[in-house]
Amino acid sequence: MTAFGDIAQTTIDGVAAGALYALFALGFTMIFGVIRRANLAYGSSVMLGLYVATLAWMTFDISIVLCFAIASAVAIAAGLYVQMLCFPSRAADRQQPNDAHRLMVSVAASFAVWMQLEELATLNMPAHLYPFPALAGDAVIELVGLSIRSDALIVLVSALAVCAALYLTLYRTRFGLGIRATVDLPRAASVVGINVSGVFRKAFVIAAIVGTIGAFVACATAEQLTPKLGMWLTLKAMLAMMVGGLGSLRGAVVAGVALGVLEAHVQRHFGPQLRDASTYLVLFAVLAWRAWRPGAATQFGVGVLGGRGVR
Amino acid sequence: MSDALVAVLTNISLVSFLALSAYLLLLAGEVSFGQQAFFGIGAYSAGIATAMHGWGLPSAVLIAAAAGAAAAVLVACATIKLRGMYFAMATLAAAELMRIGFAELTIQQVKHGELVGPNGVEGFRGIRWIFEAGLEPPQFLLIVYALLATVVGLLILLERSPMGVQIRMIGEDEQLASVQGIAVVKTKLLVVAASGALAAIGGALYAHHNTYIEPSNFSVMLGVHALSYALIGGLATAFGPLLGALLDVGLLEGTRVFAQYRMIVFGGLVALLLLWRPRGILDEPLVHAWCRRLRRARQGV
Amino acid sequence: MTVVLSVRGLTAGYGKIQALKGVSLDVEEGGIACLLGPNGAGKTALMFALTGILKAQEGSVTLRGAEIKGLAPHHIVESGVALVPENRLVFPSMTVLENLRAGAYCRSGKGEIDADLAKMLSTFPRLQQRSQQLAGTLSGGEQQMLAVARAMMSRPKLLLMDEPSIGLAPLVVAEIFRIITQVSRQGVTIFLVEQNVHMALKIASHFYLMEQGKVIFSGDPKTAMEDDVIQRAYLGSSAAQHRQGA
Repeated sequence: MTAFGDIAQTTIDGVAAGALYALFALGFTMIFGVIRRANLAYGSSVMLGLYVATLAWMTFDISIVLCFAIASAVAIAAGLYVQMLCFPSRAADRQQPNDAHRLMVSVAASFAVWMQLEELATLNMPAHLYPFPALAGDAVIELVGLSIRSDALIVLVSALAVCAALYLTLYRTRFGLGIRATVDLPRAASVVGINVSGVFRKAFVIAAIVGTIGAFVACATAEQLTPKLGMWLTLKAMLAMMVGGLGSLRGAVVAGVALGVLEAHVQRHFGPQLRDASTYLVLFAVLAWRAWRPGAATQFGVGVLGGRGVR
Repeated sequence: MSDALVAVLTNISLVSFLALSAYLLLLAGEVSFGQQAFFGIGAYSAGIATAMHGWGLPSAVLIAAAAGAAAAVLVACATIKLRGMYFAMATLAAAELMRIGFAELTIQQVKHGELVGPNGVEGFRGIRWIFEAGLEPPQFLLIVYALLATVVGLLILLERSPMGVQIRMIGEDEQLASVQGIAVVKTKLLVVAASGALAAIGGALYAHHNTYIEPSNFSVMLGVHALSYALIGGLATAFGPLLGALLDVGLLEGTRVFAQYRMIVFGGLVALLLLWRPRGILDEPLVHAWCRRLRRARQGV
Repeated sequence: MTVVLSVRGLTAGYGKIQALKGVSLDVEEGGIACLLGPNGAGKTALMFALTGILKAQEGSVTLRGAEIKGLAPHHIVESGVALVPENRLVFPSMTVLENLRAGAYCRSGKGEIDADLAKMLSTFPRLQQRSQQLAGTLSGGEQQMLAVARAMMSRPKLLLMDEPSIGLAPLVVAEIFRIITQVSRQGVTIFLVEQNVHMALKIASHFYLMEQGKVIFSGDPKTAMEDDVIQRAYLGSSAAQHRQGA
């Protein structure tokens, strides 16, 4: 394969992985925009859904569509549980969105629930990995000398579909307007009659669905499910959101894809150990840069690529 | 005292060092997801000191503390200006980079006819100083608790000192503190160094207690666990993190009936507890009320 | 004259601080009722309690006879109460148009909302000019206009306004008060909190004086354009008494 072909192929593989990261980051950022805090239990609530789904699949041999439905339903329920317990919408809280200690506390609480959900998921399933229904077999599509696995293609298509659906919802519907208004200025949202508690719940539901889509496709591609999924998902989501700018959906998508591409190239040339290191290095560099450049922004300010609010 | 009890008590104290490390940073208003890396640095440096260079445990612990402090300050050079979530994520990234570093660390020597030293992902075996010195587990337990008690004592002294007040002021409102004339950056760096040293001391003792360490021991999970001990136990005094550690590790051993559901129960309790008492069980209002009652009792007598 | 809003013995607080200690007043239909008082009297707390943003404790609040105390903020907006909050609180990252649409959030009927939107833009030509601009980049006066227009988009029966003139230049203040009068002529009942006593009393049909969480005076602006009322509004009744005695 030519040098260019090699680069192109690696990039395509990277984009496929990055599309997943983008989805995770979208869900995580959706929640972050509304609650202004990191929901550490995000990955594990999605993971719980997948575990229940695969258990059902192994026990009852149900269709893959039903699997997905079960996974989403459980993830939504788990997400709402996290929201009610750790991030309730209280008028008093809305008056101090930047209180560092409240941040610590709800992050700690969501960590506790992360542990809860993870244990719940693996309760009667202690194995290191479980089979997961396959998505599209091993068919490979060849195009201009480059190959892409059909399930990687499905990943890309689903990611694009999710982004489009999310964009349309947020910018063309009343439902989305309510969410964007709440993210922008929660106090004003109450003033115009938006049910802020309802918006909190909606954000968690959307995040659960988006995360499940990504994780489901990831597991179906690998045809396996491991208990490391929860932590992996949350970490990738947080990293992408950090690089792309806290609260910026656009930034989350771009950063997710960029991280995927970076990882693919690093792994290709330096191996898997350094692949993980490269992501952290990039994050560290980005954060150090933002700390030291003049006019450093506030806690919920501008990221590398994105900006305030849901944009 | 049964072997199992000794082991549990030792575990509680070892993880308490890490919890205290996170606690100190919390006082200064910073959440760190990365203290486990300094725990690891302490473990590896102390292990190298005793197993490969034949030093005694006391010197090894000192070396570990210095290494932990130095590493923490180095990381802080990049992160000190970051706030909130950004700082937390930066510490996480730095810690993971260090852990990956541990996995790449391979320095081996032949000692007494076998290979000792860190062996990358395989870990570091043969940290046997305790057994070579003829220390029984209960004796080691006493040493660890003596050290812990000293540390807690020092921390309590610190909190009563002007420096301690300054640290808490920075934790409350950094801008306000700097306007009051407090050297925020310098103080924070001191706190960072002390936290790094604390974690490293714990790590040094941990390495010798287990005789074997590997990079996966020092994961994000360990760090976040320690952080939550400080948050649950209470941020008013240095006893808070110990209480948190006792609750979690104690519960693990004490409630065999919950064995499979330990995290489900504990996690739920933690979440509920933090909703009800955001600054932990031993929070400032409670401790101040107790102190007042103590003072009044003393005056009354 | 029918009473649109009736408040009886309303109490509310922020944690340990009791901001409202038993407020009672009536707002009549079609008029401009004005609430005056020194800083810290509880005027903004009252506005938030009426809209459900601050949880009310005891007492009652009825809108055209229907009890609205204890309802969630979005239900109160649905019942027909709209607030133009202190400091405008426009959505800074959203456009003028989107802000207006947000004002109509509780309504259904796309056609009617679009019609109202067009009407609002023609009533406020400055907003029409900047309809695609982000609200955070507007001037203070324009933001105030937007806040008023946004509140009007919900077709309220009662419009609450919390210090609309604050932080604005005198010329802009005059324009804002002109707008308030215009809105009132369209038939909307207005309940206005103001620090600018002169301008407020010029347009008000009735006024109340509040101090330390209670309404202490209720009167007609025409008979009360006397110095000591203004003294009371700015400095509290004890200062006015002192002056009378001296």
